[in-house]
Amino acid sequence: MTLQHVGKSVPRVDAVKKATGEACFVADITLPRMLRAKVVRAGIPHGKILSIDTSAAEAMPGVKKVVTGQGCSMLFGTCLWDQPPLAVDKVRHAGEAVAVVLAETENQAEAAAKAVKAEYEKLPFVLDPVEAAAPGAPLIHEKNGSYRRVEYSVHPVPGTNIFHHYKLRKGESEKGFADADVTVEGEFEFPISSQAPIEPHGAICRFSADGSMEIWASNQAPFVLRDVLADMFTIPASKVRVHIPYLGGGFGGKSDVSIEPLVAYAASFVPGYAVKLVLTRKEVFTSALVGRGMKGRMKIGAKKDGTFTALKAEMYFADGAYGDTGWPVDTVAGHNCTGPYEFPHVTVDVYGTYTNSPIVGAYRGYGHPEGQLMSGRLIDRLARKLGMTPGEIMRKNFLSEGRQNALGQVIKKSHGDLPGCLAAVEKALDETPLPKNDDRFLYGRGIASMMKSPKMAANAASTCTVQVNADGSAFVNLSGIEMGQGVQTVFAQMAAEALQIPMEKVKSYPDVDTQFSPWEWQTVASMQTYRGGRAIQDACGQIIDIARETAAKVWNCSPSLVAYRNGECVHPNTGETLSLGRLARGFMAPDGLTIGAPLGATGWYRVPGIVEPDPETGMGNAAGSWTFGSQGCTLRVDRQTGEVKILHFASAFDVGKAVNPATARGQVTGGVVQGMGAALMEKILFTDDGVAKNVNFPAYKIPRLKDAPEKQTVVLLETPNPEGPWSAKPMAEHPIVAVAPVILNALRDATGVEFTTLPVTPDIILEALGAKEAR
Amino acid sequence: MPVLNFTVNGVPRTVHLEEGRVMLSSVLRDSLGLTGTKVGCGTGQCGSCTVVLNGRAVTSCTTPAEKCEGADVLTIEALAEGGVLHPIQQAFVDAGAIQCGFCTPGLIMRLYALLTVNPDATDDILAEEINKHLCRCTGYEAILAAARLARERMKK
Ligand code: FES
Ligand code: FES
Repeated sequence: MTLQHVGKSVPRVDAVKKATGEACFVADITLPRMLRAKVVRAGIPHGKILSIDTSAAEAMPGVKKVVTGQGCSMLFGTCLWDQPPLAVDKVRHAGEAVAVVLAETENQAEAAAKAVKAEYEKLPFVLDPVEAAAPGAPLIHEKNGSYRRVEYSVHPVPGTNIFHHYKLRKGESEKGFADADVTVEGEFEFPISSQAPIEPHGAICRFSADGSMEIWASNQAPFVLRDVLADMFTIPASKVRVHIPYLGGGFGGKSDVSIEPLVAYAASFVPGYAVKLVLTRKEVFTSALVGRGMKGRMKIGAKKDGTFTALKAEMYFADGAYGDTGWPVDTVAGHNCTGPYEFPHVTVDVYGTYTNSPIVGAYRGYGHPEGQLMSGRLIDRLARKLGMTPGEIMRKNFLSEGRQNALGQVIKKSHGDLPGCLAAVEKALDETPLPKNDDRFLYGRGIASMMKSPKMAANAASTCTVQVNADGSAFVNLSGIEMGQGVQTVFAQMAAEALQIPMEKVKSYPDVDTQFSPWEWQTVASMQTYRGGRAIQDACGQIIDIARETAAKVWNCSPSLVAYRNGECVHPNTGETLSLGRLARGFMAPDGLTIGAPLGATGWYRVPGIVEPDPETGMGNAAGSWTFGSQGCTLRVDRQTGEVKILHFASAFDVGKAVNPATARGQVTGGVVQGMGAALMEKILFTDDGVAKNVNFPAYKIPRLKDAPEKQTVVLLETPNPEGPWSAKPMAEHPIVAVAPVILNALRDATGVEFTTLPVTPDIILEALGAKEAR
Repeated sequence: MPVLNFTVNGVPRTVHLEEGRVMLSSVLRDSLGLTGTKVGCGTGQCGSCTVVLNGRAVTSCTTPAEKCEGADVLTIEALAEGGVLHPIQQAFVDAGAIQCGFCTPGLIMRLYALLTVNPDATDDILAEEINKHLCRCTGYEAILAAARLARERMKK
């Protein structure tokens, strides 16, 4: 059957509401009896709390309560319970909360927050992850190693700042390097950066006298949040209700938990009142979650013909003051730092370290951009050493049918067509010849390939409920969060396809409510189209089965003989039909007698067979899907100003099936620009005193229209993939993964300089060009 | 309590202002419930809070409320009165320029201020105006396409 909805660029179902300002975000919500919260932040990176004087603040107009961490014994987490909702006896980063003022208005709360006086004994601090891991570094958590944790997954080194050491040992890399004709190696840095969704984080929490609580939050993980809060307050999860409205961008920075435990803790002191906190932009930088923060080195060995023999890598992550959101990123960075290539021997050590900086969590790409910056750059270097093109090296080593990734998983054809992606990018770039350098500009071209295989909890699943109404329309509910990526639209497309009904008849509700919405692990890892789509197929399949059973009863035949077409059951002989609407509440005869079950079903999907990596080798079936791609660009460097203009950026991903080609393109164009920001502009800087300093726009620069590439080409390949719904695969984070190595490879081509540290700003380029000329 | 008298979306309004620093964005959002105007940075950098004040696009997060006495303010809520989208809104929908949508109302209001006065704005002028806004989702390609489409449709 030809597809009616899947594969079509239908307009987004949420676009009209967003164009009119009607779409509701957390900051737009007002509840009765609502207090506004303002947080007092540490302001120093590391110190013992000597005293906190709240008396002046408490006496100020409108102030209801000032909450501090005094006496708080709660620690929250999902796999590593190391964080209190606000600082208790010491502060571990400058943005940490030490007190929360609750007042009637925001201005009152802000004024009173200024009147809170905290005294500290300053402690030595550490920001650099390599220094943090070294002996003698100031110890940030004395209890590292004794915190409650999931022992199979999180591997701390007690007595140090290393709260997670992930090691991967495939084969014997010593032997692999002995076999190599040539090696390349380098040191790299991917600094701490902000996901910078334009909507700041917010939450509203209300405790009731009956012991239940409700929270409205800008959060990608409502059920994780629910379980974390239930665990923290030791109440049943059924008494915690989480509501998620539209999110104004997430990019990982709103996943797991960030500010919600703080807001909930404060609200627990004023039951009956709602407590609302919306972060300032500055706080988004200092006190929500940030991303990346990697320093690493990598070495690759190869034969003369370009065949890889071994890879060795070490990565240190400045994961900030607390580790629960950082450790899985570290593990995934290790899994995937090889890029989409086969290496017979791999040794990787990743160290997640506590540092006195903002907390690192998920950021689009989740460890992949950090590791693949290194492999992507080194392949470019290797190519020159061997007198080959980077493309030739890639083609020799691409993961393809029967080859084994670093985890020991065997790749299938359905996992994707890397040579096809690379060819598409080369073709797009070759359409315009590379301009010749002149007095003003240097031109260069760079290319890299990528893979992404998401890290999931082994039990991660999506569920979907479908309910058919008497007019034949259907509610399709999942708990995939709409944060801009377009899940609501693809859900509706896929449900309409599965039920064979018009899209106008399908309504997928954007607001998630953990009391009523079907369970979902969380909206991360680009899994909603893929995993949610399979859950939709399951639920819709059940609906059709129920309808056919009822129709068979009506027609007194076997259900297997009843066909289903275009929203109707069809009689095997007469061609008579019964629509979904007629069967929605069972079939009712003219006298009212009704038979058959109402048309409602719950479907689910879990990527099968996922396990946590083996603690010794780091290998195992820890990844359940792959998406491959290649990217490349042509750029221009201004010799006078050091400014970089990307003239053409080309991307090709094997997405299995583009459910909505227009929104898929939007994911790519947006991801490329976000990745370009990381490559050329973005980095959180710290003062000598250890305080983050460029914590607002424009001090922290993210790309504007004029910074964006002049042209983008997006090619979506569709290799059939029986694991995906209608073949579809994850693709939303992927466009960011290879952008930095692509741009740095192109900069090398243009300038001859090997850049290895992000971001490569105009100043750095000018300095490098000057140094080259001086030589 | 200081009082502000002004016109919002064609309706005369009187708002009592809290003591201290009160910005137009919070009057619109908190006092008048016009939450279509978004606040992304509070410092005039992202453009999410853009409204039209006496015919000009301004960032309402940096516009002190008391400066708006007697002013005429238009917000995103005014554009689709009666449920029919303004051509700029429709162009954003049709060109796929909306992802999370947090930047959208501000962009639409700035283009409204521009295109109602200068329907022949060149591509460079469109780019200049869009460049005053931050969007983290789209990569801007579709936003520029929406602005061009809106310009074309508004001429008809
Ligand atoms: S919120 Fe006003 S410009 Fe950003
Ligand atoms: S659509 Fe999300 S910020 Fe522009």
